[in-house]
Amino acid sequence: MEKVIEIQHLSKSFGTHEVLKDIDFTVNKGEVVCIIGSSGSGKSTLLRCINLLERPSGGMIIYNGENILDEKHDIHQYRTKLGMVFQQFNLFNNHNVLNNCIVGQVKVLGRSKEDAKKVAMKYLKNVGMEKYVNAKPSQLSGGQKQRVAIARALSMEPDVLLFDEPTSALDPEMVGEVLKVMKDLAHTGLTMLVVTHEMAFAKEVSDRVVFMDKGVIAEEGTPELIFNNPTQDRTREFLKRTL
Amino acid sequence: MKRKLWMKIFTILMAMSLLLGLGAGSARYAQAAEVSSDIVVESADGSASGSEDEFRVGMEAGYPPFNWTQTDDSNGAVRIDGNKEYAGGYDVQIAKKVAEGLGKKLVIVKTEWDGLVPALVSGKIDAIIAGMSPTAERKETIDFSDIYYKSDLIIVVKKGEAYEDATSIADFKGAKITAQLNTFHYGVIDQIEGVIRQTAMDNFTAMRVALEAGMIDGYVSEKPEGVSASMANSNFAMVEFDKGKGFATAEEDTAISVGIAKDSELTGQINEILSGISEEERTELMDEAILEQPASGGNKTSFQWFIDIMKENGPMFLRGAGMTLLISLTGTILGFLIGLLVGVIKTIPMPLKGAGRTAQKIINGLLSVYVEFFRGTPMIVQAMVIYYGSALAFDIHMNRLAAAIFIVSINTGAYMSEIIRGGIVSIDKGQFEAAQAVGMNHVQTMTNVVLPQVIRNILPATGNEFVINIKDTSVLNVIAVTELFFQTKSVAGNNFRYFESFFVACILYFIMTFTVTRILRHIEKRLDGPANYNMITNQAPDEDTDSTAGQA
Ligand SMILES: Nc1ncnc2c1ncn2[C@@H]1O[C@H](COP(=O)(O)OP(=O)(O)OP(=O)(O)O)[C@@H](O)[C@H]1O
Ligand SMILES: [Mg+2]
Repeated sequence: MEKVIEIQHLSKSFGTHEVLKDIDFTVNKGEVVCIIGSSGSGKSTLLRCINLLERPSGGMIIYNGENILDEKHDIHQYRTKLGMVFQQFNLFNNHNVLNNCIVGQVKVLGRSKEDAKKVAMKYLKNVGMEKYVNAKPSQLSGGQKQRVAIARALSMEPDVLLFDEPTSALDPEMVGEVLKVMKDLAHTGLTMLVVTHEMAFAKEVSDRVVFMDKGVIAEEGTPELIFNNPTQDRTREFLKRTL
Repeated sequence: MKRKLWMKIFTILMAMSLLLGLGAGSARYAQAAEVSSDIVVESADGSASGSEDEFRVGMEAGYPPFNWTQTDDSNGAVRIDGNKEYAGGYDVQIAKKVAEGLGKKLVIVKTEWDGLVPALVSGKIDAIIAGMSPTAERKETIDFSDIYYKSDLIIVVKKGEAYEDATSIADFKGAKITAQLNTFHYGVIDQIEGVIRQTAMDNFTAMRVALEAGMIDGYVSEKPEGVSASMANSNFAMVEFDKGKGFATAEEDTAISVGIAKDSELTGQINEILSGISEEERTELMDEAILEQPASGGNKTSFQWFIDIMKENGPMFLRGAGMTLLISLTGTILGFLIGLLVGVIKTIPMPLKGAGRTAQKIINGLLSVYVEFFRGTPMIVQAMVIYYGSALAFDIHMNRLAAAIFIVSINTGAYMSEIIRGGIVSIDKGQFEAAQAVGMNHVQTMTNVVLPQVIRNILPATGNEFVINIKDTSVLNVIAVTELFFQTKSVAGNNFRYFESFFVACILYFIMTFTVTRILRHIEKRLDGPANYNMITNQAPDEDTDSTAGQA
């Protein structure tokens, strides 16, 4: 299996608070990996370390055979290969829906406006938002915003898409529309790394589930294994609390 | 009845502008010497910025009958340098004679009173011929020629009241008398027995207003001011005293001389030329000047004055307003750009270690000094320091307009940088992260995502700054920029109608600020775009429930 991202001995501390401890972890091409775990276990921090929104304190992140934590590595270039979908959507407030999906392509990837627009329209259609191209983020519902955010990330045509609890800030009736989009994406063979509290989604969609606890990966395996036959007590306890 | 109310409003507005504005500009006598002695670091050699065959003379062109501003070249008036107006008066006639004697071309440089001595010291002019007395204080900084006019002290009173018939200063027993602050005029008041000496006032304007309003019974001044005040305002009369019945004065106080840079060879030449002008000729020139000075208006009402002032001085006011707009608009735009640059630099995330961190700390420190310094000192002081200081210390002779725009820009920049920094800080962290997540670097993040939002958010504050600039450019009159306040002072100095002239300025300022505020509000609305968006409906509408959700 082709590795997209390989993480070795990753650690992260905020001051004296060690949030991630010696994480080893791989994302393979075409795989959908879900990260679960209780609040404060370091899931978001792991994801943010992977695309360098947080600078790891130690370890390596290997992408295309290179350690991107090397000083000389161009992190902006690297980030274009990772799409990120935030819990709070974070659409660019000064741009309308279409421009949200275009600005990165034009300014960072150097695509022409027309090409960028074609790409953007394709992904906006995928998420069912093609009719809202003129809307400003403030004029959309939460579910619509998140779908646009997904289209924005896809428009950069990344190797991996990272999701940090994409449905946690949504009203319950909008969770479905976003999860549906994500399921569709999973079936297209896109590589996805999803931090989620939606156990049903993790069970149904993921190829592999990672359970994090107190800054370490406590257990990982197929959904059947994690959800039906966990080997660790803490996994069992966590699942008992959440399911 | 109605008119009385108007007069009251006029009086209040006038008093306000006197207190706030005029006071800042023109303490006639001692202050100029003080200001300049602070600035003189290394004295210029006295050579003027103009060419060799020019004789550059500084005057206010607003102190009749010595000097005033008019719109044509009648009565031997001379075109003012870099201006469409002409200067006339006794000083101009003397200056012409001196220039002729020197064999040079006369250039009149209209300069604010307080700026005269600094202008001379920094070599921007060759001589001051501006009704200036050769006081000991001024002599420390500049040289003076022989006397070219000598005047007597008189008291300006209200016509038709008891003091009009006075013949001796003893008749002013029990009268409320004042004179100009920091002048010997004020010192002599005590020679009147039983006088009720009032607080000294900043300038003639204030005293005329006080006299007209009955706050004082009279003010001491020199004869030319007395003549012109009583001619310009029919309510005023001048009381002269026979020998022995008037004030005892020192010669250096009542005399008027040409100011020349220290140790200049001009002094000897000018003295020689002045000695060739006879006493009779001088009296004749002064009498002519008094007759020719901008006319009095008889018994016109304030409203008529108001209309006439606008008719006669309309172009002057409009040029002033245009200059004010030009300076404040360019100053605001440049200041905005400076602020943007400083604000962005100050919010660049600090590298954790290395030389970059040190460099950034130093830059941030310097920028903080810039911001604190320019926010912490008055613009009027900065104007003096920058305009005259650059000439003295570095021999840079700034064009006045450029200096004005420069001062307003760096001033606005200091304020705007803090506004912009605050605006950047207040943008949600998620916006930065989302931009970084698509691979944008700091500059791209700023220009494509953050700054457009910041600029929209700080537009009201920018508009505020613009409005403040329109008003605050008035302080630039100290470096003789012909903006609206300066022009209004010239107009009022000529016609002595202070209420009416400044009321015109008041209205013009308001029109400018109000228009600017409206336009900016309009721009804000445009930037916000339509309140609703259009759905793209070139496809068959689907069953999706939220296809109408956004249209609320
Ligand atoms: N910038 C920061 N500074 C200091 N501590 C932080 C910072 N960000 C996160 N932490 C701490 O790191 C720990 C892990 O946080 P993280 O957000 O990764 O948890 P999480 O697993 O995503 O939790 P949740 O499910 O609530 O999102 C928490 O204890 C948190 O307080
Ligand atoms: Mg989290």
